[in-house]
Amino acid sequence: MFQRVSTLLAGAAVIVAAIVTPAPVTAQPAPTQPDLTGFWINQYTPDLSRVLGKQPPFTPEGAERWRTVDTAKDPTGRCLPPGPTRAFTAPFPFLLVQHTTMITLLYEYFTIWRVIYMDGRPHPADIADYPDFMGHSIGHWEGNTLVVDTVGIDERSWLDTAGHEHSDKLHVVERFEKDGPNIKWSAMFEDPKFFARPWSITRTFTPGKSTDRIMPYTCTDNNKDVEHLRPNQPNLDYRYEPEVTK
Amino acid sequence: MRLRAAVAALCVAHFLGFSAGVGAHHSFAAEYDRTKPVTISGTVTKVEWQNPHIYFYLDVKSPDGKVENWAIEGGAPNTLYRAGWRKDSVQPGNQVTVDGWLAKSGAKLANMRSVVLADGSRVLGGSSAGDQQN
Repeated sequence: MFQRVSTLLAGAAVIVAAIVTPAPVTAQPAPTQPDLTGFWINQYTPDLSRVLGKQPPFTPEGAERWRTVDTAKDPTGRCLPPGPTRAFTAPFPFLLVQHTTMITLLYEYFTIWRVIYMDGRPHPADIADYPDFMGHSIGHWEGNTLVVDTVGIDERSWLDTAGHEHSDKLHVVERFEKDGPNIKWSAMFEDPKFFARPWSITRTFTPGKSTDRIMPYTCTDNNKDVEHLRPNQPNLDYRYEPEVTK
Repeated sequence: MRLRAAVAALCVAHFLGFSAGVGAHHSFAAEYDRTKPVTISGTVTKVEWQNPHIYFYLDVKSPDGKVENWAIEGGAPNTLYRAGWRKDSVQPGNQVTVDGWLAKSGAKLANMRSVVLADGSRVLGGSSAGDQQN
C-alpha cells in the first residue's frame, strides 16, 4: 500500500513538473545551412578549357607553359596527389562529411582527403613554406552557400589531365550551392603568375544511392604506365593572344 | 548471362554519370597511339584487377605459329566494377578479342577500347581515349 501511494505521488509530481516548467527561452534555432553530407558523383572533366569554351586568360608565362606542356609529365601519372579541384573533376566519387566546425572531403580518387576548417581560423602564416598537394582550406557560409578558400597548393599539381598548370601563388575559391538534389560547384582560379585575371568553371555533383560505397584507389599498387609514357606535347601550335580589355 | 548484364550495366552506369571511359590519371596520348588501332585475339594467361588500371595478358599466336604474350590495359577497377565488370569477367583460359590502340613504347601492350568476351558479348574496356583530345 505504501509503495503504491508513493508511486502515484511520484507520477503526479512528474506530470505537474511537466505542466509548470516553462519552455527554455534560449532554444537553438534550426540550422539554416543545408546538410551537404553524402556520397557525390562528379563530372569527369579532363580538360577545363572545354568547359570554359576557350583557353584560360593566360599571362605570357602561363601561355608558354601551356604551349610547351608535356603530358607525359603529369604528376598523377606518377601517383602524386591530384590537387584540390582536380579531385572534383576526376571520374571518381567522393564523400562529404559536414560538421559545424569542420567539413571533410574523402575522395575515392587517390584515396585522399581535404579538411575545410569552419571555425574561423585563418590560413597558417607559413603555409607558403609548407605547401600541400591538396592545399589548405578554410570555409564559411554565405547564406546557403558554402564558400571555401584554398591556398598553399603544391605547384607540382596540375589542374587537369590536359595539362593546365599553376604556380605556388594559386588561390582557389570554391562555392558549393545546393541545387535541388544536386550540388552546384564552382571554382575560381586566381594566379598572378599564370593567369591575367581570375577565371571560373562550374560543375554539378549528383547524389549517389544509399548503397554506393567508396572503393580503393591505391595508385602505386600496380602503376605500370610510367615506363611506357613518351614525350607528348600536343599544344606546340598554340598561339598566345592576350585578352583585349575594353 | 553475367556478360549480358555487364552490357546493360554499362548503359545504366553512363546514365548515372559514371564515366565508362576512364584513364584520368594521365593523358591517353602520352602512352598510346591513336593512329595505331589494333585487334588482338588470344588466350588469357593472367588478370591483374588492381589500381590504377586493370591489366590482363593474352597469349597470341602469330601466323607463323609463334606465341607472344601481350599486355592489355583497361580502366580503373572501381569504374569497371560500377559499369558491370567483375574481377572474374575475364579469366585465365578465356578466348577473347580486344579492340584498342598500340602503345607508343613499342611494347606488346595495348589499351582496350572494347573486348569480346568468352561468351561472345562485347563490353567496353574503360579506355580514356574518347574522353581526352590529346
